[in-house]
Amino acid sequence: MNRSIVIVFFMLLGAPCLAHVGSPDVYFQGDAGPYHLTVMVRTPQMIPGVAEIEVRTDAPGVHQVKIVPLYIVGTGSKYPPPPDVLLPSKDDPQYFTGKLWLMASGSWQVRIEADGDRGAGTLAVPVPAFARSTLPMQKGLGALLSGLMILLVLAIVSIFGAARREGQLEPGQPSGPSQKRAARTAMAIALAIVLGLLSLGGWWWKVAAAERAQQMIYKPPQLLASLLPGGKMLLRVGESAWHTRRPEAVSTKLIPDHGHLMHLFLIRVPQMDRFYHLHPAEDKGGVFLDDLPAISAGHYQIFADIVRESGFPDTLVAEIDIPEIPGQPLAGDDSAAIAPALLPDAPGNVDFLLPDGAHMVWERQPGQLRANQLLWFRFQVQDAAGKTATDLEPYMGMAGHAEFVRSDLSVFAHVHPDGSASMAAVELAQASLPGRSSAPTASAGNSMPGMDMGGTRASSQLSGVAFPYGFPKPGLYRIFVQVKRKGYVETGVFDTWAN
Amino acid sequence: MAQTIPLGLQTQPAEQSASVSRESAVPWFVWSGVLAVTSIAFGLYWDISWHMTIGRDTFWTPAHLAIQFGGILAAITCIVLIFSTTFSDNPALQSASVRIWGFRGPLGAFLTAWGGVTMVTSTPFDNWWHNSFGLDVQILSPPHVVLGLGIWGVGVGCLLLLLARKNRATGAAGQKLDRLFLYLASLLVLLHMILISEYSDASLMHSAIFYRAVAIGTPTLLIAYGRASGHKWGATIIATIYMALMLAAMWIFPIFPAHPKLGPVYTNVTHMVPMGFPVLLIVPAFFLDLVMNRFVSRGKWFLSVVSGSAFVAALIAVQWPFGIFMISPAARNWLFGQIYFPYQMPPSMYQLAYQFQVFESTRSAFWLSLGIALVASILSARVGLAFGDWLTRIRR
Repeated sequence: MNRSIVIVFFMLLGAPCLAHVGSPDVYFQGDAGPYHLTVMVRTPQMIPGVAEIEVRTDAPGVHQVKIVPLYIVGTGSKYPPPPDVLLPSKDDPQYFTGKLWLMASGSWQVRIEADGDRGAGTLAVPVPAFARSTLPMQKGLGALLSGLMILLVLAIVSIFGAARREGQLEPGQPSGPSQKRAARTAMAIALAIVLGLLSLGGWWWKVAAAERAQQMIYKPPQLLASLLPGGKMLLRVGESAWHTRRPEAVSTKLIPDHGHLMHLFLIRVPQMDRFYHLHPAEDKGGVFLDDLPAISAGHYQIFADIVRESGFPDTLVAEIDIPEIPGQPLAGDDSAAIAPALLPDAPGNVDFLLPDGAHMVWERQPGQLRANQLLWFRFQVQDAAGKTATDLEPYMGMAGHAEFVRSDLSVFAHVHPDGSASMAAVELAQASLPGRSSAPTASAGNSMPGMDMGGTRASSQLSGVAFPYGFPKPGLYRIFVQVKRKGYVETGVFDTWAN
Repeated sequence: MAQTIPLGLQTQPAEQSASVSRESAVPWFVWSGVLAVTSIAFGLYWDISWHMTIGRDTFWTPAHLAIQFGGILAAITCIVLIFSTTFSDNPALQSASVRIWGFRGPLGAFLTAWGGVTMVTSTPFDNWWHNSFGLDVQILSPPHVVLGLGIWGVGVGCLLLLLARKNRATGAAGQKLDRLFLYLASLLVLLHMILISEYSDASLMHSAIFYRAVAIGTPTLLIAYGRASGHKWGATIIATIYMALMLAAMWIFPIFPAHPKLGPVYTNVTHMVPMGFPVLLIVPAFFLDLVMNRFVSRGKWFLSVVSGSAFVAALIAVQWPFGIFMISPAARNWLFGQIYFPYQMPPSMYQLAYQFQVFESTRSAFWLSLGIALVASILSARVGLAFGDWLTRIRR
């Protein structure tokens, strides 16, 4: 097989993809041996492309941080390329930055190797990579290339003219009228040929660009949602050529993410005053059914999180009109919340009254929240008397769940205390580390005391929960924060602006 | 040639003598041009091997530096030539030049300069393409074609520089220029074959696309350069040098250890991965020469039809059975190179190298494509004849 074809083939295979909507960067925290690291990975807009990595250590003593990209599963996970060394900041010895090529789409892990006073350790950070969009040509560059093209066309036409006029004359022999006439003809023919070739090239450019964009750009599978008699919702996950073209790096088969194949979020829009976090069961391949709980009538935005067996996450999107449904009582891990309507000029809040009279409090740092920066979102629950609650329980193995939704629905991110990566991918990535068991262990090394799964060092204060995340763009956001107390899931709702 | 000093020039005897001496030697700019094209061709091959082996690409990889060195050397050569001719009061220099936009210089110098600017133009275009569609190792992409045009300009420009001199030279210098011309022409054929290498793999040798890709343009180059070489077996010699260079590269590159520096690594390569076995151009080139020698007195279109048909027929006759051999276990060794795979290729796909791809989905599509190959070969031959004749008349 032609090697060039193979390269192109794999380059095409190589466009990466990701869960969430409009939130492609990865925020993560975890332990690399004895060192606790907070990691941010800015993924490139196009794959292959360069990701930017930022790593911060909790404590001094780390001398060197190295990064290696490889797939989480499959053949591409077997041979790691040589690691890159991150550069330490001159001002902050606990802060390291670097860049990394992501050559193909798929479910990647970035292995972070930290070396320092207390030995060495490795952390695997899942990074779903996928091409998001092509770049339009900047006007300046377009003008430059156009100018050069005109210059080159004029030059080659002139060269043809000179070749015909003088190129075949013996040295010193002057060109006569016949040569000059022939030169003019040659130039006219050359101009016509060049313009024809340029037209052909322009057409080819458009076709080639469209083909590449079609093959590279990630498209989530279509989600068809409908209501069945008896208060049931049917969800059908469509086929995706983008996924099937990448059988190993992405895959189409689903795996459970903290116990469920699908995490379904229903948000009444535009006011976002009703919120449901449900877990439909798979009826048959790609078809899910859910016995809906009591739901208020309205138009709902659907976000459905699923994870492929490669660790690659997808967030499927749909809309549906739902009538008033008496429904079943909430059961299992399902949860719901009622909140005031989101107003376009919402001032933001840091205190949310929970149904049982307790409060959820956002320990928000003063000042503006900037987009595209790693931020810590810390929350506490206080009882009706204002006393900090210390009885948080794991909710689906996590200290908490947070959903960040932009007011225009262009951003949706389901985040855990470990970060924005799906927990199923985290488990797969950690299990792939040399010397680790192949059996996934959720949030290895980060478990909350007394919990089987979930939690993080930052969230291991039983009185609160913290999430590392960054707003992908400025705007008004609503944050749904979910914790579990006394067997009930409580959801705090907070509005904030990012600049 | 010394005797071609124009009658109209008021050249002093001493100047004439100097000019004669200069005409009888291989000038520095010819050496410089040959070195530049060699560096570009070598750099290009190296770059492709680099992408198959190491992956990580920067502006400063040795392969890129070799290409850039070739471009810069050619550019400097041409700038010096054009400026020294334009602003020189040496009438011998000026009389052997052409005039473009007020500047004077050898025709090849202008074409080489055009090629250099085109190569430079391809850089921001290619950079934008990478940013927009991802870093690619695709050979046939719009910015790569612009780069290819630039390289073509530099290559043919250098060839014209050499030819103008060769066509006026005699004696030892002429023979040396003849040999240099054959070598330079073979490099240009090699560059062309690299451009179409996506379609000239062994697994495509039972598909019409293989023959169509080779038939478009390759007869033009072989006939034109063969004709311009003045050698009876010019095309055969050029094809032989092309094959020798490709084979040498295929045998030498794997000697050098190297490892992938980008993931995902599917094949854990430990040495530089070369390009595949060259197309057996020597056979169809021999038939081109045979036709040209046998029917030398016939019309151009007759020659085109016969030579174009002979080219495709010979290509099929030799590549079809050779394809069977290439996908067989007998070719899985260093000699035939069917053991080399890029790091992007998982072992589960090696089998694809050992079977024929079905490029044309139906029998009629196959025959249609083969028919196109035949027509393209005939037209390419006709263009080659015209181009070759023009090359033999180049004097400046």
